[in-house]
Amino acid sequence: MSTHTHEHHISTPKQLWAIGIALTFLTILTVLLAKVVVLPEPFGIIVALTIAAVKAFLVAAFFMNLYWDSKFNVLLLLAAVVFFLLMVGVTLLDTLYRVDVVPSF
Amino acid sequence: MANHSMAQPTHVQHHFVDSDHQFDAAKMGMWVFIVNEILFFGGLFCAYIVFRSWYPDLFQQAAYELNAVLGGINTVVLIGSSLSVAMAIRAAQTDNTKGLRINLIITILLACVFMAIKAYEYNHKFHLGIFPGAYYNPAPEVLEHLSHPKANVFFSIYYMLTGVHALHVLIGIGLMIWLYIRAGKGHFGSEYYTPVEITGLYWHLVDLIWIFLFPLLYLIE
Repeated sequence: MSTHTHEHHISTPKQLWAIGIALTFLTILTVLLAKVVVLPEPFGIIVALTIAAVKAFLVAAFFMNLYWDSKFNVLLLLAAVVFFLLMVGVTLLDTLYRVDVVPSF
Repeated sequence: MANHSMAQPTHVQHHFVDSDHQFDAAKMGMWVFIVNEILFFGGLFCAYIVFRSWYPDLFQQAAYELNAVLGGINTVVLIGSSLSVAMAIRAAQTDNTKGLRINLIITILLACVFMAIKAYEYNHKFHLGIFPGAYYNPAPEVLEHLSHPKANVFFSIYYMLTGVHALHVLIGIGLMIWLYIRAGKGHFGSEYYTPVEITGLYWHLVDLIWIFLFPLLYLIE
């Protein structure tokens, strides 16, 4: 049985502010890269989603404390991402290869 | 061995070994709920991806109707509220009830700012006749730069994604008020702050969803 006293992670205000400032900086960066320096065709969306993924990582790891948390909770989040990609992937296998887009859609 | 004759803190329910056991179970339950939420929003994102792959030009034209400045401000507002929730959890962990209540108030206020900006955006669109689906009835000034025949489809997706997200924000505000009242009664401290932690996870999820919504809807060039 659990004889250990499991310590909950407590972030310092400095750490939390650093994450908040990093997220704000990345938000400004993504706006600049979309509106001021407009990147050529496929790169705009790739860069925007990469920045969003980095922001999501920061929130999940350091605001939601997954960095210090049980690995099982990390696994749950990763499973959600994998199943989301599976859902999108299988859907696109249909919709991208239709001869005609269904007219009423 | 768990000693059942030993007095447990009052918040520990009888089916848990101890406080940590209860805390970890509650947190894992919340993570399972978050998986469900991600896949729920995932369906809407999937619709977005399918229609964007079919009508890339529609998404470029229609995004013109969205105000990236307001969207950007809302992004920063939500980041700020995530920060204040994280500070609220820290305050609970360090037995700082005053700090907990102040940070919950900051979170509630920021969430209200988010909703106010969202309401302004919606109101502006309704004014221009930009309604979802069959109710789409654009004003002439909209048609000047958005003549795509499937424009209503984009706004259906826009209203579903942002509307369901805004519903989550409203529920979050309710939860924060509940936490604020309980914090006032002295329910939370380093020994027991599970509801603060769980609501915090929920709120960060709301932020996470917006992190993807913002570039996908507002920043299409």
